[in-house]
Amino acid sequence: MAGVELEGIVKAYGALQVVHGIDLNVAEKEFVVLVGPSGCGKSTTLRMIAGLEEITDGTLTIDGRMMNRVAPKDRDVAMVFQNYALYPHLNVADNMAFGLRIRKMPKDQIKSTIADVAEILGLTEYLERRPADLSGGQRQRVAMGRAIVRHPKVFLFDEPLSNLDAKLRTQMRAEIKRLHNRLGVTSVYVTHDQVEAMTLADRIVVMNDGAIEQVGTPMELFNNPANTFVAGFLGSPPMNQMRGTLTDTGAVIGDAEIALPGQINGHAGRDVIVGIRPEHVTLLPSEQSSALPIALDLVEPLGSEALLHARHGDTAMVFKAETHGSIDHLSGVDTVHVPAGLVKLFDAETGRALSLGA
Amino acid sequence: MADQTSSSGAIAKPKSTATDNSRWAQTVDHFKREWQLYVMLAPTIIWFIVFLYKPMYGLQIAFKDYSIFRGVAASPWVGFEHFETLFSNDQFIRAVMNTIKISALNLLFGFPAPIILALMFNEILHATYKKTAQTIVYLPHFISSVIISGIVITAFSPTAGIVNTVIGWFGFDPVYFLTQPEWFRPIFVGTGIWQEAGFGSIVFLAAIAGVNPSLYESAVVDGANRWQMMWKITIPSILPTILIMLIIRIGNIMEVSWELVILLYQPATYETADVVNTWVYRQGLQSGQYDLAAAAGLFNAVVAFVLVMTANSLSRRFSRTSLW
Ligand SMILES: Nc1ncnc2c1ncn2[C@@H]1O[C@H](COP(=O)(O)OP(=O)(O)OP(=O)(O)O)[C@@H](O)[C@H]1O
Ligand SMILES: [Mg+2]
Repeated sequence: MAGVELEGIVKAYGALQVVHGIDLNVAEKEFVVLVGPSGCGKSTTLRMIAGLEEITDGTLTIDGRMMNRVAPKDRDVAMVFQNYALYPHLNVADNMAFGLRIRKMPKDQIKSTIADVAEILGLTEYLERRPADLSGGQRQRVAMGRAIVRHPKVFLFDEPLSNLDAKLRTQMRAEIKRLHNRLGVTSVYVTHDQVEAMTLADRIVVMNDGAIEQVGTPMELFNNPANTFVAGFLGSPPMNQMRGTLTDTGAVIGDAEIALPGQINGHAGRDVIVGIRPEHVTLLPSEQSSALPIALDLVEPLGSEALLHARHGDTAMVFKAETHGSIDHLSGVDTVHVPAGLVKLFDAETGRALSLGA
Repeated sequence: MADQTSSSGAIAKPKSTATDNSRWAQTVDHFKREWQLYVMLAPTIIWFIVFLYKPMYGLQIAFKDYSIFRGVAASPWVGFEHFETLFSNDQFIRAVMNTIKISALNLLFGFPAPIILALMFNEILHATYKKTAQTIVYLPHFISSVIISGIVITAFSPTAGIVNTVIGWFGFDPVYFLTQPEWFRPIFVGTGIWQEAGFGSIVFLAAIAGVNPSLYESAVVDGANRWQMMWKITIPSILPTILIMLIIRIGNIMEVSWELVILLYQPATYETADVVNTWVYRQGLQSGQYDLAAAAGLFNAVVAFVLVMTANSLSRRFSRTSLW
């Protein structure tokens, strides 16, 4: 079982602690994505797994073996870097062969391994080219190839797609997913792009400020964010968050009240943050929905949907509405309807999710 | 430049009515708009004209029977007579051979020295130690050649020199290093390395600093040790810099640092120490044969020109790196 276990992992640079005790279990063959804002310690965590940064405290186990003091080369991990880290003076084949030569793999075996992997990645016709003569996507593939030929226990990716344009990124994202399904190698993937995290991950780890906010499958995190940070990080656009106060029957936001039947259970008077996903509101009332008056600022058509930028009182919010081929009917919207069952409540002070109904 | 002219020309066109002088109008227009650039360029151009191009006028005395009383223009032409004199002169031939031999030794030992030094510095992890060591090896570069030669002469002195003192400890007789022709080249080349290797390493250190750090990290994960990283990453990455420096060096093959030769040699060591430039200096300035000296200098320059062109085109062909 080539899993990766982090237990109380801490990283400090001198007196400055940047990772504050991370616990994480990556199961064998699992694809785990670390996601979070810039500077939250994703790369640092990944580099500690790789052995490129020393672990200040805690234990790291790979495949059942404690790795804190093990040299990177003996951890049997392969890493794909954001800037690809291709050797400019070597051609594609030699770049992929680099790690194998260092490990003294026999020549003919190197050759056949590279031929196989090049085939998988569609690089066969570029084997003789230097990195400078490749496109961004091809370079990215070479970087992946270099990791794959090593047949490591664990793949580590540090924002491997962030240097690509949007279209190529979508394409490579799917390719990485397919590769993982095919090779089944345990992977830890760092990104700050929540779409990448949602689409690739078996489980997502949301990090903030050197600590884990929540771990779970993409849909778990999307449906039940543990706190306002996670709620505001996943989804595009993310969940709207409005200050409100609970009453016996619902939540008051500004001068509107949203009915939340059966959810309050004696918490009336509590200050909360009410979370509403942009795609959950409707333009027409439905069963158990409450009307929320809004002032529309702007309509952004995206094609089949449009984003409505609006405000209620001082709170800015974004909603999604279907266009049905035209945005004309959206310009006059002054009320949206919020379905009770899909509203999330968070504690106003701690930001933690409240489950009052239970 | 061509780009600028044409683009400004496109804008200038509607203004000029007469078509025949439109080109002139464009140029004037261009100068009016871009004059600041030319002002900034002027000092360099003037420097080149005054110090490099104007003296070339005097080169013609290599083909003339020059006398200072008649002046450059009035001296009669003599064709290649001075060159014939040069190549039938044993001393000149010897100087050419000495120049080539010293340069070859310099290239063999003096050129790799700063590269090796830079690679070694790169392996030092302790920051303070590294900085101190670097400062110490940079220092000799800032000492004037006169003092350098003084140090060398003192160090190799048969009576009080440190070298002979050490030799004395082992019970050997003192060696008169600086009067013996066979010792001149090793001492000269060694002094050059001592003086310039440290400073020369800066260029290579800068090149090493420019190597993408994730190349090393990737190699570490792949299992490379420091030695392998040096050979497989650092050296290939700075190869373009090494080649450029080599081309420049080859262009200077005929320019052995002759102030140092003059300071270190003596008639007893002319046999191995006299190089073209010192010979030119003695003929030209000391014996007053300016025309012959000019011919020798021109010969030197032509050889250097051919060498640097050859090195450049070879480098471009084989490594895609070239000075121009
Ligand atoms: N060598 C160092 N010395 C001190 N602080 C450092 C060092 N390296 C990183 N840090 C700090 O550690 C924190 C985490 O950095 P890290 O590179 O892990 O962020 P990240 O989550 O990968 O961000 P990004 O998305 O921008 O790559 C940052 O605040 C950074 O300033
Ligand atoms: Mg990072």
